[in-house]
Amino acid sequence: MATQPIERAPLRESLAIQIRILGALLIREMLTRYGRHNIGFLWLFVEPMLFTLGVTALWTATKSVHGSDLPIVAFALTGYSSVLLWRNMPSRCIGALWANLALMYHRNIKVLDIYLARLILEFGGATISFTTLALVFITLGWLEPPQDILEIVGGWLIIAWFGSALAIWLGALSHESELVDKLWHPFSYLMFPLSGAAFLVDALPKFAQEAVLWIPIVHGVEIVREGWFGEHARAHYDLGYVLPFCLVLSFVALIQVRKTARRVVPE
Amino acid sequence: MISVRDVTKIYETRHGDKLVLENINFDLAMGERLGVLGRNGAGKSTMIRLISGAEQPTAGAVERHMSVSWPLAFGGAFQPMLTGIDNIRFISRIYDQDFDSNLAFVEDFAELGVYLKEPVRTYSSGMRARLAFAISMIIEFDCFLIDEIGAVGDARFHDRCNHELFEKRGDRAMIIISHDASYVRNHCNRWGVLHDAHLALYDDFDEAYARYSEQMGLATQSVNPVVTFKNRAALLQSLSGIALADDRFRIHAQQGDWARDKGDWSGAEQEYAAALLLHPYERTYWIQQGHVMREQGKMAGAEICYRTACALGQPLQDIRVFLEAAMEGCDGASEAQFPARGLTGDATFRQPPARPDIAVLSRLFWPNDDVPQEEEVLALMRGHPSLDELASAMVADTRFSPHGRPWFGAGSGLADSSDKGEDAVADRWLANLCFLATPDFDYADASLRRALLTEGGSVLEALMSQGGFSDWPKTQAALQGASLARVVH
Repeated sequence: MATQPIERAPLRESLAIQIRILGALLIREMLTRYGRHNIGFLWLFVEPMLFTLGVTALWTATKSVHGSDLPIVAFALTGYSSVLLWRNMPSRCIGALWANLALMYHRNIKVLDIYLARLILEFGGATISFTTLALVFITLGWLEPPQDILEIVGGWLIIAWFGSALAIWLGALSHESELVDKLWHPFSYLMFPLSGAAFLVDALPKFAQEAVLWIPIVHGVEIVREGWFGEHARAHYDLGYVLPFCLVLSFVALIQVRKTARRVVPE
Repeated sequence: MISVRDVTKIYETRHGDKLVLENINFDLAMGERLGVLGRNGAGKSTMIRLISGAEQPTAGAVERHMSVSWPLAFGGAFQPMLTGIDNIRFISRIYDQDFDSNLAFVEDFAELGVYLKEPVRTYSSGMRARLAFAISMIIEFDCFLIDEIGAVGDARFHDRCNHELFEKRGDRAMIIISHDASYVRNHCNRWGVLHDAHLALYDDFDEAYARYSEQMGLATQSVNPVVTFKNRAALLQSLSGIALADDRFRIHAQQGDWARDKGDWSGAEQEYAAALLLHPYERTYWIQQGHVMREQGKMAGAEICYRTACALGQPLQDIRVFLEAAMEGCDGASEAQFPARGLTGDATFRQPPARPDIAVLSRLFWPNDDVPQEEEVLALMRGHPSLDELASAMVADTRFSPHGRPWFGAGSGLADSSDKGEDAVADRWLANLCFLATPDFDYADASLRRALLTEGGSVLEALMSQGGFSDWPKTQAALQGASLARVVH
């Protein structure tokens, strides 16, 4: 197609528009999702906190076997928070465009913006929930302070990157086929036990380790654990695998967005 | 300036690709207002969305050298869960505008009061329209895209919208699509007709409208309801909706209205008559027809029209003055002498006869004679309070014949110039006949047509074998007298 957008805005101006649009979408998203009733947008991180707390309590009560001598609270916090991070992103992006078709009438709002706004919100919620709970547990003395905060940040960002790329790809794909929504639920459910949230790679037999390390999230979770527990976690990961994986997935996702955007019909 | 260059749009559907627009080309400069006419589904809204940039063309390009609005006056720009105020805030952010002054404008224009603080999903459609329009006025675009703005709201709201658009923003460019041809005529200075994916442009409205009417005339649209109603009142309601959605009907009605507004009574009469031939059960245009006939001193005709409107459901008190004036002018009779009966929810045979019923029944019972003329029609309407009595009187008449092929040519009072031959007229007649006599019979069934086409066939017999008139007591009795009634029902 020979579209020639004339008078293309300079980069700085485009960036300002982009930030403005994302800001407006974020606030709108928060208002529609949480409203102004009771605790309002605090639900953003209270909800994942409740999830994590529940799972931590459950695992502590059942003394889940996770194949190491790491404290169960720390294990559950790092594990389940990562699950919430990567799993909620696609859940929020699948079908997001259908719910926001009316917005497509505003030329400055692009399909990708809708996904980005939701992803920023998910990332923020999961991150605040994770740090708040960590701080509380540390203060209460249930948890040792982390060894290497920067490494945790790195691992966390890798999980978020993977989650976002997957979310954008599935989100855009779901606009063309409702199969995506149907298949995502069982897929995400099955991925949960495989994602490294409930085990340490090191505790697995050799062949299982090799198999499980094909899953990119496992690498992220291992990095987070290494950042928290240091040597103690005996982490297994390979940046040379997980980073190119995320890069390729992002590329695929953006191509799909482009394809979907060309076909989108505002309601 | 907006330049639309070779724009083509194809939608992929399950039944293959659908070409909606092909090689659309035009430029629009400041101050130019383009009105686009086209039938339902011609691609008008798609074109607007492509120009707005909300959708991408399959091929070609839209160059915008000025700021272009989103398609105005659609209700969907809102987040229904959010309040009116939050929606204003959102739009203000998106377009980098001052929220407080925007809020003040919307408060003043939309007149929603405290409802602005309520979620939009609780609004009525009129309230949504007011909010939508007010919000779209807060951003000063160079070009406004207007999609069916006249569809919602009251007259006062329309006036205020028109003032905002055409008085305050008369210097802007606009593209207006509307079903209301007058609206497009009054507010635009260029016109386009969208047909078969192509856009033809005109600088003269009459030329554009002639082309549009011609295309509508060629189009075949269904005039029959998708479901049949046993209840006449419900059926009439449905037929009226179909009439108003038929572009051919609307064109005739529209041209009738224009002629009436100019005081061209006979021109208006012709157009209304053409509209009512296509959809004889649309009562509001019978009233208009009554008015223009009365203006010409055609009092008997006017009385028929008013009685018809009444029989089709117009409350008598609305038109009593007109009816009495027509009767007074006709032969000095009064409504008390020949009461005009209105439609009830009761069985069809008890309903008062309308002008189209007489046309339909006379073709059935008197197929070998001429269609009754005005004087006789009036006498039949005055003299028979119910369809049953009318039908039984027709059967008892000497002209009654169960056999014979009715004639449907021009002058039969059933044919319209846009009809393709007598077959189209016959089909419409059969459908109307079924609505009247056997509403639970599928009028598309071939048996009636066969009877109509067979030499010596009898539509009446075919109709009765399908249960026609079976619950019309007097008609049954009369037909028995003519030894035609079915023994077993």
